[in-house]
Amino acid sequence: MTTRTSPERQATWVWLGLVALTLGSAWLGESAASAMVLAAVVAGIVAVKGLLVIRHYMGLTEVGSRLRLVMRLYFVVVPALILLAGSLA
Amino acid sequence: MELAVAPPAGRSMLAGSVPGNRGIWVGILCELTEFALMFVAWAWFRFNHPEDFRAGSAMLLTGAGIANTVVMLTSGYFAVRALLAIRRGESRAASNWLIGTLVGGIGFLLIKAWEFHWNIEHGVVGTGNSFVAMYYYLTFNHLVHVVWGCLGLIWAILRCRFGAYSPDDHEGLEAATLYWHATDLAWIVIFPLLYVLR
Repeated sequence: MTTRTSPERQATWVWLGLVALTLGSAWLGESAASAMVLAAVVAGIVAVKGLLVIRHYMGLTEVGSRLRLVMRLYFVVVPALILLAGSLA
Repeated sequence: MELAVAPPAGRSMLAGSVPGNRGIWVGILCELTEFALMFVAWAWFRFNHPEDFRAGSAMLLTGAGIANTVVMLTSGYFAVRALLAIRRGESRAASNWLIGTLVGGIGFLLIKAWEFHWNIEHGVVGTGNSFVAMYYYLTFNHLVHVVWGCLGLIWAILRCRFGAYSPDDHEGLEAATLYWHATDLAWIVIFPLLYVLR
């Protein structure tokens, strides 16, 4: 069965998720986590936030779209760079 | 559960078409490429000057970075609501959501101005520490894009007020909001690089 959420409500949930992820990463930055763990979690959070904005805010939902692929790739490569920088620090 | 913010029925995206227009996507991809180069520079300096990065990140006001991020995300949410409103033919509501988006952008700029003032008072200046130099390099560049985005929003608000957009024709409004989201995307990366990672 398919349940259709109103776009307004869905946008509100995405916004709340983005804010929660931001506050979560800020809290983690103040914690005693090691630099490597911090880099790994931050890289994951950046990837999730980026992909949420690309899909739900920018509306890049077309399957097979090259533009969507490029934008998604950006939020794989940049977090990988964060992870690399964290592991080398 | 269907989650995508899709165009309304009867206005489905044609295969191979893009949200907004192709022109704005050229601008967005150029902007993200520019920031990608800056992120590589950040990684390079972090690798070569780790002591600067350890000392530098502790000098920043984390609260200002968090406030900037929450304001930017909220402003992006308002931009989505503006697009949804115009797709329903609610021009007045779309205009009001766009004004909310713009207020968020101005709020972002005011927080940054206050943060820079605080930095200068506390000796956080762009000389002698490569992290602080990168901080100003990234934040000033992002600031310029926020200003461009605000100008685009003002244009979209005026067009909306004069009834230029309809559920079937609102390409300009969508382009302005897409650019705003791209500026948001850049900040989503900048925030942890400067305020979270140690």
